[in-house]
Amino acid sequence: MDAVNIAELTGNIAVVGYGLAAIGPGIGVGLVVSKTIESIARQPELAGRLQVTMWLGIAFTEALALIGLATPFIFV
Amino acid sequence: MANSSDTLFSKALRLSTLLAVAIALVGSLLGYLFYQLPGVFAALLGAGVSALFGIMTILSIWFGGKLSLNGFYALVLGGWLFKFLLFAGVLLALQNAEGFAGPVFFFAVVATVLGGLAIDSWLVLKGRVPTVGK
Repeated sequence: MDAVNIAELTGNIAVVGYGLAAIGPGIGVGLVVSKTIESIARQPELAGRLQVTMWLGIAFTEALALIGLATPFIFV
Repeated sequence: MANSSDTLFSKALRLSTLLAVAIALVGSLLGYLFYQLPGVFAALLGAGVSALFGIMTILSIWFGGKLSLNGFYALVLGGWLFKFLLFAGVLLALQNAEGFAGPVFFFAVVATVLGGLAIDSWLVLKGRVPTVGK
């Protein structure tokens, strides 16, 4: 008996990769920013130092996103 | 007078630019060896685009720090969103380009991003940022 198609997907699977490359860093940056705001609310006098540290957190998170978005160039 | 975070960010900008130039030169050479002229183009574009994004992050944190807290987050997060839309647009344009050396572009991006991270981490660890702000 032939297999029956109950659902058909069309399109490029790389699009899912783009989506995944955006979700992770999105959550990461959200966490970095929310924790920095929380810390500044607790200790406003530390704002300058926390903002500099936040820069490092965002730089690491966006590195993942940039690499994730560029991967279709080697995985094709 | 420049304060210590001004010194930190200006040093980060200088070193990131130098790194991007170095990666563009080495990448162009390697790209030419493997892919001829398209390799050179891809290496220059990869190093340039990823250096631009690192520099935009540094500038947004640097100048955002001079604004109110709301302004800081608007600039940093708005800049982040804008940057990624721009990057996705560049990638979409390049994917359909004829004869583009994709692997050279990818490795130039990875090298610039990782090198930029190393510079940022080193500067923050060595930097003397006062605990009590202005």
